Amino acid sequence: MKTLSLLLVVALSITSSLAVDRNNFKTCEQSGFCKRLRPFKSEKSQYALNLDTVMVHGNVLGAEVVTQDNQGEKKHVLWRYTLKLSALVDGTFRVELDESEPLYPRYRTQLALDGEPKEDSLKLISNENGKLTVANSQGHKVIITADPLKFEFYNKNGDLAVVLNDNNQLIVEPLRVKREKIGDDDEAAAVEEDESAWSENFKSHHDSKPRGNEAVSLDVAFPEANQVYGIPQHTDNFYLKTTTSGEPYRLYNLDVFEYELDSRMAIYGAVPVLYSHSKRHSAGVFWHNSAETWVDVVNYADETVVSSLVNLVTGGRKTRVDARFMSESGVIDVFVLLGDKPADVFRQYTRLTGAAPLPPKFSLAYHQSRWNYADENEVRSVDEGFDANDIPADVIWLDIEYTDRKKYFTWDPEKFAHPTEMVANLTAKGRKLVVIIDPHIKREAGYFLHEDATEQGLYVKNKDGNDYEGWCWPGSSSYLDFFNPKVMDYYIKRYQFDNFPGTSKDVHIWNDMNEPSVFNGPEITMPKDCRHYKPPQDGHEGISSYWEHRHVHNEYGLFHISGTHQGMLDRDGGRYRPFVLTRSTFAGTQRYAAVWTGDNSAEWGFLEASVRMCVSLAASGISHCGSDVGGFFKYPEEELMTRWYQAGAYQPFFRAHSHIETKRREPWLYPAATMGRIRDAIRRRYALMDFWYTLFYEHSIDGLPVMRPLFQEFPQEEETFTIDDTYLLGDRLLVRPVLSEGATSVKVYFPGKDSKTLWYDTDSYQAYPGNGYTTIDVNIAKTPVYQRGGTVIPRKERVRRASTLMADDPYTIVVALDEQNKASGTLYIDDGETFDYKNNKYIYGRITYTPDNMTYKFIDKNAHYPTRSWVERIVIAGIKNPPKSAKLVQEGKVTPLQMTLHRGNDVLVVRKPAAAMAKEWEIHFTY
Amino acid sequence: MFYSAWDKQLGSSIFIILLLVISAQSDVPRPRGVSLSKASLYSPTKDFTCFDGTSTIPFSYVNDDYCDCFDGSDEPGTSACLNGVFHCTNAGHRPQNIPSSRVNDGVCDCCDGTDEYANQEACPDICEELGKEARVKAQQLAELHKAGNSIRLELIEKGNKKRNDMAEQLSQLEKDKFEAQKMKEEKESLKNDLEAKENEALQVYRDAEEKERQQKAELEKQQQEKEANEQFIRFDSNNDGVLSADEIKVVNVFDKNKDGEVDAEELKYFIGEKDSIDKEEFIDITYPLLKPLLMLEQGMFRPAENEEEAEESEHDDEEDPKITDMEDLGEDEGHDDIPEDDEHHEEQTDDTKKYDDDTQKLIDEATEARRQLAEAERAVREIESNIRLFQQNLEKDYGLQQEFATLDGECIEYEDKEYVYKLCLFQKVTQKSKNGGMEIGLGDWGEWVGEDGNKYSVMKYTNGIACWNGPNRLTIVNVSCGLETKITSVTEPFRCEYKMNLITPAACDDSNYTQQQSSHDEL
Repeated sequence: MKTLSLLLVVALSITSSLAVDRNNFKTCEQSGFCKRLRPFKSEKSQYALNLDTVMVHGNVLGAEVVTQDNQGEKKHVLWRYTLKLSALVDGTFRVELDESEPLYPRYRTQLALDGEPKEDSLKLISNENGKLTVANSQGHKVIITADPLKFEFYNKNGDLAVVLNDNNQLIVEPLRVKREKIGDDDEAAAVEEDESAWSENFKSHHDSKPRGNEAVSLDVAFPEANQVYGIPQHTDNFYLKTTTSGEPYRLYNLDVFEYELDSRMAIYGAVPVLYSHSKRHSAGVFWHNSAETWVDVVNYADETVVSSLVNLVTGGRKTRVDARFMSESGVIDVFVLLGDKPADVFRQYTRLTGAAPLPPKFSLAYHQSRWNYADENEVRSVDEGFDANDIPADVIWLDIEYTDRKKYFTWDPEKFAHPTEMVANLTAKGRKLVVIIDPHIKREAGYFLHEDATEQGLYVKNKDGNDYEGWCWPGSSSYLDFFNPKVMDYYIKRYQFDNFPGTSKDVHIWNDMNEPSVFNGPEITMPKDCRHYKPPQDGHEGISSYWEHRHVHNEYGLFHISGTHQGMLDRDGGRYRPFVLTRSTFAGTQRYAAVWTGDNSAEWGFLEASVRMCVSLAASGISHCGSDVGGFFKYPEEELMTRWYQAGAYQPFFRAHSHIETKRREPWLYPAATMGRIRDAIRRRYALMDFWYTLFYEHSIDGLPVMRPLFQEFPQEEETFTIDDTYLLGDRLLVRPVLSEGATSVKVYFPGKDSKTLWYDTDSYQAYPGNGYTTIDVNIAKTPVYQRGGTVIPRKERVRRASTLMADDPYTIVVALDEQNKASGTLYIDDGETFDYKNNKYIYGRITYTPDNMTYKFIDKNAHYPTRSWVERIVIAGIKNPPKSAKLVQEGKVTPLQMTLHRGNDVLVVRKPAAAMAKEWEIHFTY
Repeated sequence: MFYSAWDKQLGSSIFIILLLVISAQSDVPRPRGVSLSKASLYSPTKDFTCFDGTSTIPFSYVNDDYCDCFDGSDEPGTSACLNGVFHCTNAGHRPQNIPSSRVNDGVCDCCDGTDEYANQEACPDICEELGKEARVKAQQLAELHKAGNSIRLELIEKGNKKRNDMAEQLSQLEKDKFEAQKMKEEKESLKNDLEAKENEALQVYRDAEEKERQQKAELEKQQQEKEANEQFIRFDSNNDGVLSADEIKVVNVFDKNKDGEVDAEELKYFIGEKDSIDKEEFIDITYPLLKPLLMLEQGMFRPAENEEEAEESEHDDEEDPKITDMEDLGEDEGHDDIPEDDEHHEEQTDDTKKYDDDTQKLIDEATEARRQLAEAERAVREIESNIRLFQQNLEKDYGLQQEFATLDGECIEYEDKEYVYKLCLFQKVTQKSKNGGMEIGLGDWGEWVGEDGNKYSVMKYTNGIACWNGPNRLTIVNVSCGLETKITSVTEPFRCEYKMNLITPAACDDSNYTQQQSSHDEL
C-alpha cells in the first residue's frame, strides 16, 4: 500500500524525481557480519568431518564436524559441531550443521517448511580414502570429503550438480560468553575485537547484540551452470549477476520508500532459494534461514569475472556459477535440490515450502483499490462507475483510512458507519470487499486491542523486556508478537464476525507493513535486539529465554499472514477459502497469501520490472503475484496506463492501486478511447478466468509456477536463459507485454525450434513458428499473447460485471493445433469459493483433439460438479484439412453440428455444440 | 444443461407465440429484449439480417443464445453477444435498455424482472410499486417547482431591474468619465506650463549645486590621498617604496578581527594574492579598506554594534515603502508616476529657504498644479474602475431570464465536521478549518457548465489555491430547485475538486421541469 511516504513526502516536497534514500539502508560494509564475513577467503577449510563418528540411521547420516587450528604443527580442535545429512523424497537432500553444545540454542526458522519434509532412504555406499559416498533410493549420490569438509551432489544422470564448501567459506561462528574487560595488556587486543562483537551502530540506532557474533556462511558451487536465478525480492533481472564489483544481493524484509530499479538492495520480501540452470541440467539450494542474509554470486561467464579466477577455479571453463550465503544468525540448514529439469527444481522447492492452496476464484479477477476510497458513498460511486461504463470488477479495496483513526478491527464511525450495508451493496452484484489490517497497534488508551495486548503481554518487547514502542501510521504503536501461541490465538479470534462487525465471508484481508515497517526504527524496521516469544524450556533463563528480532525478522510477516489466514478460516468454520494479500514475503508465504510488488511508481521502468519481479517470485513458490497497476506513486498518462492494464491482465494478481496524493484514475476518468482499451484489457482477463483458475488448481497440485520463465518449458534453448520480459502462463500461453513508451513493434521470442512448436496469435489465430525472435507490430490496442500449438484453452466470452456472475455461462473452447494436428488441455470447475472441492465436488477434465474426434474426459473420475455451463463454441486454429461433418455424442444422444471454416486464417468454428460440461462428451469428425 | 434444454424445447415458432402472450400489453409481437420501435426489424416470416448488414441468418437463429451478428442484433434477448442490448418494457414504470451481459446474471436489473427469465422467481415484477413511487416523487418535485417558480418569477423581476439599474448607472458613469477626462486634460496642460517655468528658474540653482558638489569631491579625494600617503610612509618601515607582507604583519591596525595577529586571511583581504604592494596600489585599493579600521583605532567611530543596528533600521525603512508601493500597484496601476513627482517636489521644498521669492512662487504654483492633476487623474481612475465592475457584472451570465442576478454576492455558509465552507455566489468559494488556520480559496466564479441543454444546473468555480503537488482547487456547484437558497452538501470526490449541492428558487422552473419529465417518459 504505502511506505512512510506521507511523512517523508511532506519533507521532500520539492524533489520531483523519485529516488530511494540509500542512506536509510545498510550496505554490506555497514552490516557488521557482512563486513566481517564477506572478505573471508581460505586456502583450506577449517572444518573437517570426524570419520570415526559417522552413523547412518534411517534417512540421516550423522557425524561430528570439528574446526581445527591449521596453523600449528599439531592440529588441535577448536570447536565441535554436529552434522546431519538427510535424504528426502524427490531428489532432495538436507544438510544441517549446528554447534554440538551451543551456549544457548541457536534459532531454527519455524514456519517456512510445509511440515516435516518426507524422508527417503539413505545408504552408505563406501567409506574410504577419507571420503564417504551415500545414495538415496532414487539414484542420487553425495560424496563427502572429510578433510577439508566438502559435499558433492550428483544428480540421476551422474552429473556433479552442486558442491558445498568448494570455496572453503563454510563458517558457523560459535556462541561465546562476553568477556569482561580486564586490565591486562595481553587481553587488550581481544577486548577491542569484542567491542564490535557485542554492539553495533547504524546512524542513530544502537544494536546491543546480547549474544555477540553468531553468523553462518556457506558457499555453493554449480559446476555446470550457465545462469542462476531466484532469491527474490529484488528489482534486478531474473537471472542473477556477478556481485564481485558491487554489493551482494540482500535478503532483509524492508519497507523501502521509493525503491529503485535494477538493484540488489533488499526490499519487502526475502525468499532464500536459488536455482541453477544449463542445457545439461538444473539444480537448486534452499537456504533455510530467516535472519538478515547477503548473497554473493560469481558467474564465470560474466565478463566482469577476471580470467585468472576463471582459470583457477574452473580451469578456463566458463560454465560455472558460485554463490555464497551469509546470514547473521541461525544454523547451517540447506536443502539441495537436484532437479534435473527446471520444472523439477521448482517442484522440489514447493514440496518443501508448500504450494499455494486453490485461491477463491474472485481473487484472480480484477481488483480496484486506492488509498483511499474516502467513505461509503465513494465506495458506492466507484462500484457504480464500473457498471455505468460496463467494465467488469470483482473487488473494491479499502486502505487504512476506513478505520477509526488507524485502529484496526474498527470502522470510522462517520465515514464507514454502515459497513454491513456497504458490503451488501457490493455482494448484490457479485463483488467483494478487501480491507487492510496491519500488524502495528495504536497505543491509545481505550482501544480494546491495545489494552488487551498490554494487559496480556501480547506485544513484542524491547531489549529491556518492556513493550516495544515504534512509530507507524497511527503514531505511537506496538507490534503483536505472533511467535507467541497466545498472541496468535488472540489475533485469530479478532476475525470472528462478532469481533469484527461489518465483515462477512465476502470481506477479505490485506496485510501491509508487515516487514514490519517501523518509521523510526533502524532501516525503517524493528530493532534487531527486540525480544520475541520463545517457548519456556528448562534451564533457560536470561538471554536464552527469548528470541531476538534478528533471528526471526524475515519470517515475522509470515507468522502474521498465517494468523490472518487461520482467522479467516475459523470465522466461518472453514467453509470458505480466505484471500489474503501480503507485502512482506518469505519462503512459504504462498501457503497463506498473494503478494504484490509494493509501492512502485507510475514509470515505464516499474511496469517493465513488474514482469521479472513476478516471474522470480513465481519460480520461488509465490505464483499469486502482481504489481499496482498504474503505479502507486505519481500519475500514469494514457499510454502507460493502457499498457499497464494490458500487462496486468496477464499477471496473476490484477489490482489497480494508487497513492492518496495522486490524481484519481479509475478507468472512466481517462478519455473514452483509453477507457475503451482498459475495458478491453480487463474483459480479456475475464474471458480467461476459467483458464487462470485451472492453472491455479494445477499449481495447488504440482507446485509449478503459474507464471513461468520460457526456459522451464524449453530448457535446451540457451537464448531463453536470460529472457525475463516474456513468460508463459502454464504451458499454454506466451505473453510478451508491451513495456516501453511509444512502442510500435516488439521483438517476441518464439521458442521451440526443435519441437517445431507453433504459436497462435490469440487475436488473429495467425500461427508463428518457434524460430526465435520475430518482430511483431503493436498498435496501442495490441498485447502480444500467443497460444501454444497443441494446447486447448477454455474461455468464457460473456463477460459480466463480476466473475462470480459468470459461473453458469457457456464456454468457448479454443483448440490450437500442433504439427501433428493434435491438441489437448485441461479445465477445472468448482463453486469458486468453498472447500467443497476437497470432498470431490469439482470437475477436472481434459479436452483432447485429434483429427478424428474431440473428447472431454474427467481426469478425476470420482469428482463431479453440477455445473450448468455448456459449450457454445469450439474454435479450432491451424486446421489444414477441415472435416466435412461433425456430430456430438453425449449420454448416448447424437447431435449433428454446424461448422464454419474461415479460410483466411485456417480457423474452423463449431457453432453451438451445446454440450453440457457437467458430463463427459465426444465429437466425431468425418472427412 | 439448462441452456441446451431450453434450446431444444423452444422451437422458434413456439418461442414467438410465447412472446405474443407475454407482451400482449404492447400488442406488437416481438422477440424478447426488443423495444417497440425496433419490433418491425424482427419478422418471423423472413430471414434476419444483422443491423450492420454483415450477414443474414435464418430467423430461428434470433435469440437462440448464440451470437451470429457482429453488432449483437440477433440476440436481443440473451447474453450471447458481448455488445448486445436488452430492452425491458417495465410496464408501469420507465422502460430501460441494459447491456446483454446483464441478462440472466442473477442480478435484477429491470423492475419487471424480464432480464432474469432463467430464474423468474428471483426477480418479481416491481414496476408498479416503483412507478408509483416515482410518480409520487415526480409529483412532489413538480409541486416544489411550482411553489418555487413564483419566487423565481420575483427573482427574475428583481434581476432584470438590477440589470437595468446597472446599465443605467453604467451609462451615467460613462458620462462622468468623459467629464473627468476633460478636466484631467485641462489640469495637465496647466501643470505642464507651470512646470516648464519652474524648471527654467531652478536650472540656475541646479548648475550651482552641481559645481559645488564636484569641488567637494575633488577636495575629498585629495585629502584621502594625502592621508594614504602619510600612512604608507608610516607602514613602510624600510622606506623602499613598497609595502611588504612582513611590514604589514607588524601593524596592529591590519589585524581586522583583533585576534592579536595579522594572518593570511587578513593579508589577502588587504593586498590580495601578492607579497607586497607599491604606493599607488596602496592608495587605490588598500587604503579605502583600511580607513574604517584606522578611524576605529583613532576612536572616530564605533561601528561594531551601531553599524548593524543602522543597517537594520535602514532595512526597515526600505521595506516599508516597498510594501506600500506594491499595495498601490495592486490597487491602481496609474498611480506610479505620482510618488515620483512628490519626491521631486519634496526634495525642493526641503530647502525652501535657498530660493529667491520669485522662484519660490513658481515652485508653489507648479506644486499646486501637480496636486490638482493628481486629483483629476484619481477621479478618472475611480470612475474607470467602477465602470469595469459594472461591465463585469453585466457580462456575467445570470440565467436566461436574469433569475440568478440578485444572488450575485450573496454568501452562504455550510458546516461539516471539520470545515466551514462559504459560497459567495458569482464570486468565490472558500473553506476554513474549524480548528483555525487560514481561509483557503476553493475557486473563483468561472462559468455555467451544465450539460444536456441544462446549462444553468451546474456552476464551476476555478483557480482556487493550488494543492500541494497538485492542481488548483476548484468547486462544482450543482444547482437545483428549493424554496430557499442554501447548500445541502459539500464533498471532495476528487482530490482538490469540491462538489456542492445548492438549492435555490432561482432554479425552480415550472415549464422546464414538466418538459423534461415528458421527454424522459418517451424513452
